[in-house]
Amino acid sequence: MEMFAYYCRLSMHNFNRTPLFFILMVSSLAVGVGVFIANLAILRTMSSDPIPHKSEQIFNVSMSTWPDANGKQGKPMPILRYVDAMHLLENNVASHTLVHYETAAYVRDPDASNLQRQFARVRATNADFFALTEAPFAFGGSWQQDRAQQLVLGHKMNQQLFGGINSVGKTIDIFDQLYQIVGVLKPWQLKPIFYDAAGTRAFRQTDDIFLPLEKAIDSELGIRGSRSAAGRFESMKKTREQDVYYLQAFVQLDNPQQKNDFQQYLDNYSQSLKQTGQHPLPINNRLLDVNQWLEFNNVVDQRMVAFALASSLFLVVCIFNASSLLLSRYHSGKFETALRRAIGANRKQIFYQGLIESLLVGLASAVLSLLLAWLFLQFSKSLFPRLENIAQFTTELLVLGIVIAISTTFISTLYPLLRTCRGPVSNELK
Amino acid sequence: MLKMNNLSRIYRSETIQTYALRDFELKVNPGEFVAVTGPSGSGKSTFLNVAGLLDSFDAGSYELDGVNVQGLSDDELSRLRNEKIGFVFQNYNLIPDFSLFDNVDMPLRYRGFNAKERKRRIEHALQQVGLASRQNYLPSQLSGGQQQRVAIARALAGEPKILLADEPTGNLDSLMARQVMELLHSLNQQGSTIIMVTHDPDQARSIPRNVQVIDGQITDHSIYSPLSSASGQGA
Repeated sequence: MEMFAYYCRLSMHNFNRTPLFFILMVSSLAVGVGVFIANLAILRTMSSDPIPHKSEQIFNVSMSTWPDANGKQGKPMPILRYVDAMHLLENNVASHTLVHYETAAYVRDPDASNLQRQFARVRATNADFFALTEAPFAFGGSWQQDRAQQLVLGHKMNQQLFGGINSVGKTIDIFDQLYQIVGVLKPWQLKPIFYDAAGTRAFRQTDDIFLPLEKAIDSELGIRGSRSAAGRFESMKKTREQDVYYLQAFVQLDNPQQKNDFQQYLDNYSQSLKQTGQHPLPINNRLLDVNQWLEFNNVVDQRMVAFALASSLFLVVCIFNASSLLLSRYHSGKFETALRRAIGANRKQIFYQGLIESLLVGLASAVLSLLLAWLFLQFSKSLFPRLENIAQFTTELLVLGIVIAISTTFISTLYPLLRTCRGPVSNELK
Repeated sequence: MLKMNNLSRIYRSETIQTYALRDFELKVNPGEFVAVTGPSGSGKSTFLNVAGLLDSFDAGSYELDGVNVQGLSDDELSRLRNEKIGFVFQNYNLIPDFSLFDNVDMPLRYRGFNAKERKRRIEHALQQVGLASRQNYLPSQLSGGQQQRVAIARALAGEPKILLADEPTGNLDSLMARQVMELLHSLNQQGSTIIMVTHDPDQARSIPRNVQVIDGQITDHSIYSPLSSASGQGA
């Protein structure tokens, strides 16, 4: 311990001797590590598993039910018709089944003196949504009836409308209809939002309001997400009968047997459509688990992958740069090393001293690199607002940043230090 | 104390090999003060480097304080250097931005002494060289002779068995050189074993035993009487 303190003291002495050198070295490593960590932060969020304990049990349901042989080439579609979705909800194979579409509304607290309405992203879905996604309730719970004039409020909207209090039992005005609040969610953010992963939607904020599907359709709350229709449709209610594809479906299948049974259930349904002449194309239904589904939707932006690779290479360049800086420093410090060896320091002691010095440099570059990474993420968010939910710094990344900064410093120190330890003693001393 | 038998040190290049030391034979007893003289390139410094375990040798044997150094590991050689040898260099080799205290402290740190013991030894060593009151000075605040005395204090602090001095007065004017030599003689009289490389024949004559090295071999042994030694000090 006494030698550790002595090595620390010697390191501080060395920093004071050549501050510019150490500033250069710390900066060189910090820039490399900072950019790398910032990219890693984005990439990790993009490629993370939103529901790791059961992502292999939750499946997106894509079906080929297009009513004629034109246009869709028989590929499974991730959006379903109302009739197909209702058939899915009737299954008794899956542990949970959810069907949903995205809509939006301007809402207000009817008791508020302020008449101003707030924009709200609304998820029209069935009650099983909350069980399948494990959305955490702060107050109350889900609705019990499909056509109930009830809703579940997201944490943020509850904050905005009611200041975060337990608002269960209160009402919300949505397009002049009053809906009773039956549940309020805790802060909840899936990353990515697997149940709506198409395009750039996977990293938005969680929905503000959750409404019963049937009630949303009855209330003519329009479709905000993907849709495809074989013909024109005049109202939301008409989508119940027409070939309008807009509902997404997910099921929870807890074991392979359940999955096989459910696949069979889907294929039987397609077969029945075929037999009645409603589906001329080959049967082609697909179940993808959460991670397969996210991959299918290219949730991880390939440009970010390329950028992360580039930042890794940049980090390697920074390590080489720091290493060559150190090599020159050790070269100029050969006299002191030789003197220490002459008066009794062995190679291990010289090596440990160098390691302690690199640990201190590593800690300094860790602090600076984390600061740079944070600044880089803030800059990215201001430049690309869609990164708001992606470019985030977590405790895990903080620890990782420190580990990477210290490791890279060790790596850059290793070769110069080994050369120093192996250098001849007698040549340097006269 | 120090025994070298048929010791050779060869420097090899692609085309040539040069004997820096050839069949070198030397025995130094405890308490002796030996001057090693010889022309430039004769092998004096190589001898001192080998004796100080800073350089290896190719043939023969070398025993230091009863320990055969051949085949010892880096750890063992470092420990021997630390415990048994004190170095005094021509250029003093002090760390310029360390205080005298910290300079003398260096070898003691690697020896593993606790803070109290280190302080005692540092103060004693600086007292021996007459610089106890300046332990917080930087080397640059001292004259060349004083710096060399600090280097001697650093060598003495570990209470080594043998002091190896490589032209310790080479960079000093005659007055300071005399002071340093007086210090070395006084240490020798207190029982220290000293081997000193020097170019200066007068200085060599002040030392009881002279060894002349030419072409890596000892060519002459001379023993001076205490009387001639005393008269040589002032030269």
